[in-house]
Amino acid sequence: MNKIGIIIRREYLTRVKKKSFLVMTFLGPILIASLWIIPFFLAMNSETQSKVLVVDETLVENNGVKSSLYLEKFKNDKELTFEYGYDITEAQNKLENGKYDAVLEIVKTNDMPPIKGFLFYSENEPSLSAQEAIRSQLTNILKDHVLVYDYGMTEKDLEWFNNPKIGFYSKDIRSGKDSYKEIKTILGTMSGFLIYMFIFLFGGQVMKSVSEEKTNRIVEVLVSSIKPIQLLMGKIVSIALVGLTQFILWVVLSGILIAGLQSFYPQTFTEPQKENITINERVISVDKIDNISSSAGEVNQMVQGLFSIDYALVISMFLFYFMAGYFLYASLFGAVGALMDVDTDAQQFTLPITIPLIIAMLCFPIILNDPSGTVAFWLSIIPLTAPMVMMIRIPFGVPVWEIALSMSLMIIFIAFCMWLAAKIYRTGILMYGKNITYKEIWKWFKYKN
Amino acid sequence: MILFSAKDISKTYANHKALDKVSIEVEQGTVFGLLGPNGAGKTTLIRIINQITAPDEGEIFFMGEKLKAEHVHSIGYLPEERGLYKKMKVGEQAIYLAELKGIKKADAKKRLEFWFAKFDILSWWDRKVEELSKGMQQKVQFITTILHEPKLLIFDEPFSGFDPINANLLKQEILDLKSKGATIIFSTHNMESVEEICDSIALINKSKKILDGKMIDIKQRFKKNQFEVVIPNQKNIKHLLTEGVELISSFDTPHTQVSTLKIEQGKNAELLSNILLNTDLISYKEILPSMNEIFIETVSNE
Repeated sequence: MNKIGIIIRREYLTRVKKKSFLVMTFLGPILIASLWIIPFFLAMNSETQSKVLVVDETLVENNGVKSSLYLEKFKNDKELTFEYGYDITEAQNKLENGKYDAVLEIVKTNDMPPIKGFLFYSENEPSLSAQEAIRSQLTNILKDHVLVYDYGMTEKDLEWFNNPKIGFYSKDIRSGKDSYKEIKTILGTMSGFLIYMFIFLFGGQVMKSVSEEKTNRIVEVLVSSIKPIQLLMGKIVSIALVGLTQFILWVVLSGILIAGLQSFYPQTFTEPQKENITINERVISVDKIDNISSSAGEVNQMVQGLFSIDYALVISMFLFYFMAGYFLYASLFGAVGALMDVDTDAQQFTLPITIPLIIAMLCFPIILNDPSGTVAFWLSIIPLTAPMVMMIRIPFGVPVWEIALSMSLMIIFIAFCMWLAAKIYRTGILMYGKNITYKEIWKWFKYKN
Repeated sequence: MILFSAKDISKTYANHKALDKVSIEVEQGTVFGLLGPNGAGKTTLIRIINQITAPDEGEIFFMGEKLKAEHVHSIGYLPEERGLYKKMKVGEQAIYLAELKGIKKADAKKRLEFWFAKFDILSWWDRKVEELSKGMQQKVQFITTILHEPKLLIFDEPFSGFDPINANLLKQEILDLKSKGATIIFSTHNMESVEEICDSIALINKSKKILDGKMIDIKQRFKKNQFEVVIPNQKNIKHLLTEGVELISSFDTPHTQVSTLKIEQGKNAELLSNILLNTDLISYKEILPSMNEIFIETVSNE
């Protein structure tokens, strides 16, 4: 077997057999699957209902016809259903028996119209959103009352007034698709962060492994059999393969996990019927119970967003920037590993490499805020930050020339870094017990190989 | 036959010259001692032979050819700074290192089993290196160095870290390898072991070769015409000295008198006959300088 092959095989097998690899392999998909599933469960959970009994003391009876400002005016929704009663003591008993989750008492006052309400509950305090919804319903009913009786609005006017049907959707001008900013933000951040993590995790492994071989002193035996550059490349490639293996296992396992859950809850995971249901949802949601339903609408929009993304582009770009970012940083980390020794201060060498990574991370919010702004542009062109920053921008759409420029700069810079790393590596690994300075490294470039 | 030769090797690092026109020749089937104080440039020369670094100037020939990449398969190297993967199992690791020297896996396994049995360490096969003592690790590393049956073996301070018993075992192995035709370059500053196993040496000091040749020749060159004479202690050597003989020192034992004499060239016969006429001669031998003396003398004269 070719010698690099032997190196790759050993490095790969020892890593894949490690317990930590196994743990990560199974934890990853659970994380990924939960990220995918949470929106669906959010949508499902919002359907747990609370029953509210409205006791209206302002109720008056005229010729056997009950009437009041509030009677039958509350609107049921996914979260809340309303029933009406007359006697507060009876209502409180029912509440204690658990027939209702809350009792809303509207107190008779001298004010006209009466505007004081009390909310009683037994087991659990109603959620803030439910309380807010009830308050807003009270306000809306009152508002309607004023509009009808004081301003003479008809029922029809009132309905239009409450539902102006002003839609607001953002659309991508090029593809004509809805923009789904939230899901793109999540996807971009996730893939950017994933690359950042992989670089740190696996680049760090290259560094650790190189410095281990150096402090072990086995490296001298190894380089008497193979060229230092072969050893370094074998290591970098094998760790990349480990990363890819893990990534593929994650995709496959999360796929299985999501598919499994989908077959358990088939209804939950279908794409919502966009044109009809969402718009209809909106019609409901923009009306008096605004606060509650709009959250369900957002969840639906997120779910739709999941289906709206060009996964082929995202995945292929991800693979490119994942590999490119890794090779770039792995060679640098490898060089740093070769500089480390038992008693040397590694900090001075790791810092220059980690700083660009951290800058990219810190700029995530700026880039998300304006994915085609100046900061985003430059950081996605500069090879040291491009792998992460470009991945954030990709879901939002990036002009082809920018991607091409960024990719070619990446490749050129990787070649440069590997050359640099090879020079540092082959000298560094054999420098024992010596404090290496930048000045000294500079001289290494003049050595003959 | 010359197996290995280096001609006018120079290597400069940033601020110092590690080797300055060093030439050595190693004959096949001999043990060649590469001697010199710390920092003289021995390790640099060894790394150049192993193609770990390249010389700035000079040429190297191995088995009649210019040194090239494939030659690493015919060279075995035991560096001074020794080490193995701590977390890896002994057997697995030995196979890995053998594969890197171009041996097929199955073949490596067979050979390893032979050597492990010979050193009585078969039970270590599945143990991790970190579980072994330092001396045990050295044994494993020694086996991995010689497993691919290299024509040229390079040992850098091989005895450091071995206890006397294992050091002796190692010495026997080295001599055994030599008798099987291997050529050995042996770098050390332990002069005692040089006396015992080296056929020829080169002494490097401050990046220059200052002495080389066969051990016998060097000793002849450095000898001071001193002899040790032992006679019964009834007589005193003082009264037996002849012309051209100088008494350096002498001491009595219960029955004998041991003296060190400096005898001018060609004056031995006269002295001996004078002694034999007057008393018994128990022993008479030439005192050759030890490598240690030669080393110190040469290096401090620089």
